[in-house]
Amino acid sequence: MEALGMRDEMGDKSAIAAQNSLQLIAFSIGEQTYGVEITTVREIRAWNGATPLPNTREFVRGVINLRGTIVPIFDLRARFGDGQTSPTKNHVVVVMSVGDKWVGILVDAVSDILTVSRDDIHNVPEGNSIDTELLNGIVTHESRMVGLIDLHAVVSGAKMDA
Amino acid sequence: MSDLDDFKATYFDECSELLTALEEEFAAIEAGERDSDRLNAVFRAIHSIKGGAGAFGFSALVGFAHAYETLLDYVRDGRIELTDDVVVLCIRANDIVADHVKAAQTGEALPADYGIDEKTRFDALARGESIADDDDNGEGPDEFDIDFTPVMVNLDAIHASGEAAVDDAFDMAPMQIESGHWEIKFTPHRALYARANDPLLLFRELAALGQMHVRAVLQEIPPLSDFEPFAVYCSWEITMVSPDLTEAMIREVFEFVEGDCDISVAQVGAAAIGQAEDTVAPAPVAKAVVAAPSEPDDLLALADDEVAGLLDFAPEPAAPAPTPAAAVQDTFEEAPGLSFAELAETIKPAAPVIKAAPIPMAKPTALAAAPVAEGEEGGSRSNGVQSIRVDLDKVDRVVNMVGELVITQSMLTQQMDETLRARYTELVRGLEVLAQTTRGLQDSVMAIRAQPVKSVFSRMPRLVRELATKTGKKIKLETIGENTEIDKTVIEQLSDPLTHMIRNSADHGIETPEKRLARGKPDTGTIRLSAEQAGGNILIIVEDDGAGINRERVLQVARDKGVVAPDVNPTEEQIDQLIFAPGFSTAEALSDISGRGVGMDVVLSNIKKIGGSVHVRSWTGKGTRMTLRLPLTLAVLDVMLVKVGDSPYVVPLSSIVETIQCSRASFERVPSGGQVLQVRGEYVQVIDLAKRFDMVTETDPENRFVVLCEAEGSHKVALIVDDIIGQQQVVIKSLEENFERVDGIAGGTILGDGNVALIVDVQGLKTAIVHKNAA
Repeated sequence: MEALGMRDEMGDKSAIAAQNSLQLIAFSIGEQTYGVEITTVREIRAWNGATPLPNTREFVRGVINLRGTIVPIFDLRARFGDGQTSPTKNHVVVVMSVGDKWVGILVDAVSDILTVSRDDIHNVPEGNSIDTELLNGIVTHESRMVGLIDLHAVVSGAKMDA
Repeated sequence: MSDLDDFKATYFDECSELLTALEEEFAAIEAGERDSDRLNAVFRAIHSIKGGAGAFGFSALVGFAHAYETLLDYVRDGRIELTDDVVVLCIRANDIVADHVKAAQTGEALPADYGIDEKTRFDALARGESIADDDDNGEGPDEFDIDFTPVMVNLDAIHASGEAAVDDAFDMAPMQIESGHWEIKFTPHRALYARANDPLLLFRELAALGQMHVRAVLQEIPPLSDFEPFAVYCSWEITMVSPDLTEAMIREVFEFVEGDCDISVAQVGAAAIGQAEDTVAPAPVAKAVVAAPSEPDDLLALADDEVAGLLDFAPEPAAPAPTPAAAVQDTFEEAPGLSFAELAETIKPAAPVIKAAPIPMAKPTALAAAPVAEGEEGGSRSNGVQSIRVDLDKVDRVVNMVGELVITQSMLTQQMDETLRARYTELVRGLEVLAQTTRGLQDSVMAIRAQPVKSVFSRMPRLVRELATKTGKKIKLETIGENTEIDKTVIEQLSDPLTHMIRNSADHGIETPEKRLARGKPDTGTIRLSAEQAGGNILIIVEDDGAGINRERVLQVARDKGVVAPDVNPTEEQIDQLIFAPGFSTAEALSDISGRGVGMDVVLSNIKKIGGSVHVRSWTGKGTRMTLRLPLTLAVLDVMLVKVGDSPYVVPLSSIVETIQCSRASFERVPSGGQVLQVRGEYVQVIDLAKRFDMVTETDPENRFVVLCEAEGSHKVALIVDDIIGQQQVVIKSLEENFERVDGIAGGTILGDGNVALIVDVQGLKTAIVHKNAA
């Protein structure tokens, strides 16, 4: 149930990986798969509740105590406008660093570690503004479509409009 | 380069401490404590500043400090009387030194003639008094630290007769020491002088270590035609006798000048040293010896024939010859381990003889390390509090970890239910001890960060002096409670606000002497700066007996600037608070004191940043009082844990006035539909935290609680919460570190169960409501 020591495991692989490739942690929200660059991930932990933060948008689930530091948790499903996740003990928080801040993203499950080529990253098709706003690109992995999360965009605009 | 920068940073740190010490010393001296300890401390401080300045090449600072130091030296010697005028001059000199240090630190250039008037006065004082000294023949009770008898140097003779003559002429009275002694050869390089070091001071330091004899080696001095003014021709041979002197102690004296001189230290006849101790002179006999050479003439008579001969053809000594009588006496009393025969030899008027009195040294480290003289050893070592300089980050880390420990400990305690308690009594006892130890540890760690406010207060007298000069007003500063301790971080943030507040008092509050007299007040205005502890807070009060806030004018300016709408009529108290509005200045003309574009709004924002509040009260014609309320520490907060909806919140205990059960509180409706609470005839704004924070509450309204809080400026606000859980200490955690500021929330904390509780920002809640209403 505790954090998976994934970064150490990945050390060798990343050395092998060509400069042109990208390693992702893939996680799922419903049927959809999303990914973030593995280097931004600090730890993965089980959902254990969070203290709600008043006056913030629906996708801010609150704050948790990460070894003495207060870390905000963002509900990715809610961020995509699909309503809040009803988390169970099986839901997972992926703690990542964005700039100099640490944030947690609540997802349904972590599914895989993927190595993809940078050349395979496609632009997000125009259309749905939420997609273009929150995704950096789309990559195909074994015929699955993986949306690359733009973390900066996900955590912005968290406060309620005055 | 970075090493040098580190050294520089350390030097400036030290300077600021030394300058603070100077302020303190002079405060005492001004108050009449004119003893030599104070003067010595002042001298040491100035000398340390000068020494470092020399090393870094701050020549203006060195120049000024040197002149000042000379003056202080004369004062210490009693050559210049420490009159009130001199004290005033010295205080001014401290300010100038501080300016020089600041200029050196910031790289700003001061005018080339900065402090020249004072320097001229030092020189005049020094000259004037030393002439007078000739007349009274040094009968003052205090004599010089270092006595020397001038010797005429006949350069022609040296060069005519060669080295043999030189030896005869100058090696006149060696210490005839049978027992063990140290021989030191000291040849300064040019760089030593360039770095503002002075051999005399080094000898003084050595003299503190024991009996010494210094002989100048002058062979190198060339004929006048070849004389190069900046070259170094003089070196010294020093003989030292002291029972417990070590090479390390001698080396330490020269530590500062290492590399800028050639120095050799050798011990001669080590085995005999122990014996010398047995031959310490009994006091009465010593006096008999002392009695003889009371006049310079007698001294001459005592000298060897050759010496007499040499001096004979020198009609007048080049410099005034001080009587070594007192010094000789000191020599006897202070220098253990010498027989009189030896001592008698050392007082011969030969090359400079330095008395062995324990002179407090320029370098505090040397003072601490060197056992001055036998009987005094214990005393000088136990003097003062030992301290180390620690990076604040390291302390912060410890504070944080102790905070975690406190939380873990309380978590463990909470996990102990009744069955566990009954079963594991040993464990329970262990946890109790752990709780006690943790609490003790926490207090101790907090105490490390606590500092007396003195360090900030002591900068203020100078500010007030400057302000008085600039405004032409007479202002006196009184400080009270300067030993009150606050967290270091709070203290650091205090300097700017205090400076602004005092500036404000001096510029706007205190009237000119004429006006004051016309109003029947003493012509000197008083600014009182005080600190006191009040519960979990520190109150810092800046109070003046000036004109008070000109409310009409303040309101006028506020209306002109659109801070207050034309149809609003604020109360007197509200008008007073207007001086904290951003960009607000009522100075009629922009003086260079206030009105620099930074005003009291800076005070407010700085104080708010550290979790404090500012309140101002004014009495027309009588004065103004500004009160800063500051948290004792930034790291730990005493709080009340409450429940709103399902979530825990904490309210700082310092802002809570009382708690009331809702069923017992008397609420009233106001036309807007809102509620107010009536408490002892006062109507208080009500904020339902559940509504305010969008929480769902299922608690019966009757069972909820009112937490009556006091916000800024003693305005009260009633918070409605679902339940009150209890009081505890928490460690404040920043929300902004990983998120952003949330309205109405001052931060977070971690509870015993590992969950996060949010800290309610009482003032923020109140302000936010006002904004909402205004919109």
